[in-house]
Amino acid sequence: MCGIIGYVGDQRGDTDVLDVLMTGLSGLEYRGYDSAGVAVADSSLAVRKREGDLSALESAVADGSVEGAAGIGHTRWSTHGPPSDVNAHPHTDADDRVAVVHNGIIENYGSLRDELEDRGYEFESETDTEVVPHLIADALSGGVEPETAFRRAIGRLEGSYAIAAVFSGSETVYAAREESPLVLGVGDGGHYLASDVPAFIEYTDRVIYLDDGEFATIEPSSVVVTDDEGTVVDTSIETIEWDAEDAGKSGYDHYMLKEIHEQPTAIRQCLSERVTELEGCIDVDSLASVSVPDRVQFVACGTSYHAALYGTRLLRERGVPATAFLASEYDVDAVPIGDDALVVGVTQSGETADTMGALRGANRVGATTLAVTNVVGSSAARECDHAMYVRAGPEIGVAATKTFVSQQIALVMLASELTGEYGDELVAALRDLPGKIQSVLDASAARGIATEYRDSDAFFFIGRGYNAPVALEGALKMKEITYRHAEGFAAGELKHGPLALVTDRTPVFALVTGGSNPTKTIGNVKEVETRGAPVVAVTDGCADVERHADFVLEVPESHPALAPVIANVQLQLVSYWVANQLGRSIDKPRNLAKSVTVE
Amino acid sequence: MSALSAVVLAAGEGSRLRPLTRSRPKPMLPAATTPILARVLDELVDAGVTDITVVVGYRRERVQSYFGPTYRNVPLTYVGQRTQLGTGHALLAARADVDGSMLVINGDQIVDRRIISDVVSAHEGSDSVATLGLLRRPDVGEYGGVIVDDGGRTEDDPSVPIVDLVERPRDDRDYLLNAGVYALEPAIFEAIAETEPRTGEHSLIDAIAHLVSSCDDSSPPVRGVESDGLWVDATYPWDLLEVAAELFDRETGGSDTDGRGRQARPVSPSASVHDRAIVREPAVVADDCEIGPGAVVGPYACLGENVTVDAGAVVEHSVLDTDTRVGPNATVVECVTGQRVEIGADTTIPGGPGDVRVGDRVFEGENLGAVLADRVRDEGGVTYVPGAVVGPNATVRAGGTVRGTVVEGTEVRS
Repeated sequence: MCGIIGYVGDQRGDTDVLDVLMTGLSGLEYRGYDSAGVAVADSSLAVRKREGDLSALESAVADGSVEGAAGIGHTRWSTHGPPSDVNAHPHTDADDRVAVVHNGIIENYGSLRDELEDRGYEFESETDTEVVPHLIADALSGGVEPETAFRRAIGRLEGSYAIAAVFSGSETVYAAREESPLVLGVGDGGHYLASDVPAFIEYTDRVIYLDDGEFATIEPSSVVVTDDEGTVVDTSIETIEWDAEDAGKSGYDHYMLKEIHEQPTAIRQCLSERVTELEGCIDVDSLASVSVPDRVQFVACGTSYHAALYGTRLLRERGVPATAFLASEYDVDAVPIGDDALVVGVTQSGETADTMGALRGANRVGATTLAVTNVVGSSAARECDHAMYVRAGPEIGVAATKTFVSQQIALVMLASELTGEYGDELVAALRDLPGKIQSVLDASAARGIATEYRDSDAFFFIGRGYNAPVALEGALKMKEITYRHAEGFAAGELKHGPLALVTDRTPVFALVTGGSNPTKTIGNVKEVETRGAPVVAVTDGCADVERHADFVLEVPESHPALAPVIANVQLQLVSYWVANQLGRSIDKPRNLAKSVTVE
Repeated sequence: MSALSAVVLAAGEGSRLRPLTRSRPKPMLPAATTPILARVLDELVDAGVTDITVVVGYRRERVQSYFGPTYRNVPLTYVGQRTQLGTGHALLAARADVDGSMLVINGDQIVDRRIISDVVSAHEGSDSVATLGLLRRPDVGEYGGVIVDDGGRTEDDPSVPIVDLVERPRDDRDYLLNAGVYALEPAIFEAIAETEPRTGEHSLIDAIAHLVSSCDDSSPPVRGVESDGLWVDATYPWDLLEVAAELFDRETGGSDTDGRGRQARPVSPSASVHDRAIVREPAVVADDCEIGPGAVVGPYACLGENVTVDAGAVVEHSVLDTDTRVGPNATVVECVTGQRVEIGADTTIPGGPGDVRVGDRVFEGENLGAVLADRVRDEGGVTYVPGAVVGPNATVRAGGTVRGTVVEGTEVRS
């Protein structure tokens, strides 16, 4: 889960290589930020890298000594070796002939390293990546050209990678991709490569998506894509519609709060031209050719997994057997899959390595695959048989908010479209949802409740039915950004163990909305009330839970499947305000990155 | 001024527009189907402004979430005015974000781009500390009045010295209307700081008046430039009907956008209009609206985003804001709704003159069917006596009759 950027200027423009690289890295910071580095080539190689966030690297390059025609950069999130200057990318060979940046994991790096060390190559870092420059140097020493050396080195690698390299005395950036995201940008004043489009969207919106096994040679005047044999591959240039402008915080202190407030708009975008109330229909173009499956398996991680859990319930309620799997457990779980199954990957970025691994496994056994993702043209969207976009717009905050609600709404439409089972009430309720979430944003009591409970020992979240995955998500959000202990439970499960954790210093957030058997949940609320725990009821007033609550977070009445979607917004706000009052790094919580592209 | 900075004042609630401002400030109320502020930003962008600072305060999230970090590729910077202590105080909030000359404009009034261009070109190259946009209007009494020294007019300068500024003038001097468009030099910040606040508020007008009164031969003058073009201000909720009508009747020139930077169309391509529905122009139907069979929308009907007009319903001379739903066979005439209002089946809002009570004042004979604030729900078969004003979250039971003012959150039974 690192980010890489590369740029070759065409000399006509006055775009400074270092400026492009630094801008690119700041656009990729969401992918990791424990160290960063750049390498720029002209007659020699200049490499600068620093532990810490981008500002450390910025001061290291401020002296203006880094100049050249071609450059690469990297922002890192540690997988092999702790964050340090030495472990930061780019990595070079002993003679500084080549510099390499890498995103992914080289699985056979141990044996490659042993082999190279036996032959006298000395390693400086603890990273898997460092084998690459040494392999390239080894080939160069054999007398071959840089491109051949690069290809030979890549040919030795097993695992996942997006790799870019620059050579001393050359104006070319070489790149290769295998199971890690890599996109090329075609500009007027030069050409780009990056892990993700926001890195260079400021300069160009014309992109080429590289496929697995492909190589790219980027020169001042050309971008050439080849296969592993060196044969030129026909590529198409696509135009991206996202604007760089979407990256600003628009007056909010944090992207997370901005994105929480963008949820009504995100839902409108998700629903637009897919639902018609007066004709009582839900019609998603990209699902038209998906037939009703015998069973559905969701694969997802983190917040997307909670959306998937919500999705399984929607499908089961409509008579389709559906199960959600943690993507990282899918292959080891010995899940029986076959061509009668629809495997749905829920992934915001469309690049999540665990989810991609599970989807690729499903593709191999002939299951129909469907990606539910936010990123057009992402690996998931391209590799699955079908793709449905959630249309939330770019999300920068590491803690997912608006993409979760958009995933939920997309899955409501998915379940409805696949089965044809939905009523007029559901369609009307979907169209009312943005306004109802707006009412919550206009008048939430979350901030005061956060003040009241921010110093608690732990936070518990309970809910039943559609509220159960929301309870899990509420706890995950709290953990991610406040660093406080938080757990979510199906309400009935509390008494089977976790109740032992409940004290007067552990507030319990109880999700009680219509249709989720609220009276039973109230029984569970009484269990914690008796133990002296403060109770915050998140409720539409359906079951008089207020009588047992210290505070109430109000949820407008809605369809039973949608009220929990609204309730979740209240929990997002509670977590945000607790984190805010504790002074946490809300948009970039410690140890976390937005898009997890390692397994 | 190749780089042209503007400061938009959008922090005030606009309390005379209550109950519509319960959850959002006046700049976010609908001018036809888009926020008033979107129209202001459109005119600024069309006049060539290259960066915009928006001063936000009351319910600022509504402004920020709607517009985001840029508008039609022009960057927006938001600065917060924590407490609303007048327009001068609001401008001070933007002090750190502007340097050099700036264009300052009210975010809650719609002005023609010609007024903006006239002010900019008159100010450019002049020695004025402030240049105000002025209009010749018969009805200055409700707004800001400006007295100019016509003797100070020169042949090659369209602007004239200003000698006096009076808010809501009551005397019969020859006042021009202050259009709320100002080109200002940074000296204005000192003037605001030096001017005594009135009833606790630092007014930008008072600060400019202070510059006028302290002006001598050696100091830079305050001038105004008389301009021409559309200028609309909604003072009371029912004025939103008039604002929409003026926008419909305006000669369209240049680019008119739909408030999200796209070309405006009478019916959005994402709206769903039944084959047997009739849209009578002028009318505007925004994104994701639905109009059922036999419904008649227009003339002078504005349907905001995601509005539903069910079968057989009639909507004319009305401004229905986002997510409003009109039930089957309802009649809605001269009506202003807030967001997510539900007008039930067979309800009748006949329109026509009625007396409207606002606080202690009664406005007699206003053409107003009803003002229904955010999330008002009527259960159907309801009749509204002209001039009715219903507060947010109120419920009207089926078959009821609504007259006069209904306060927030109450229930009207038949």
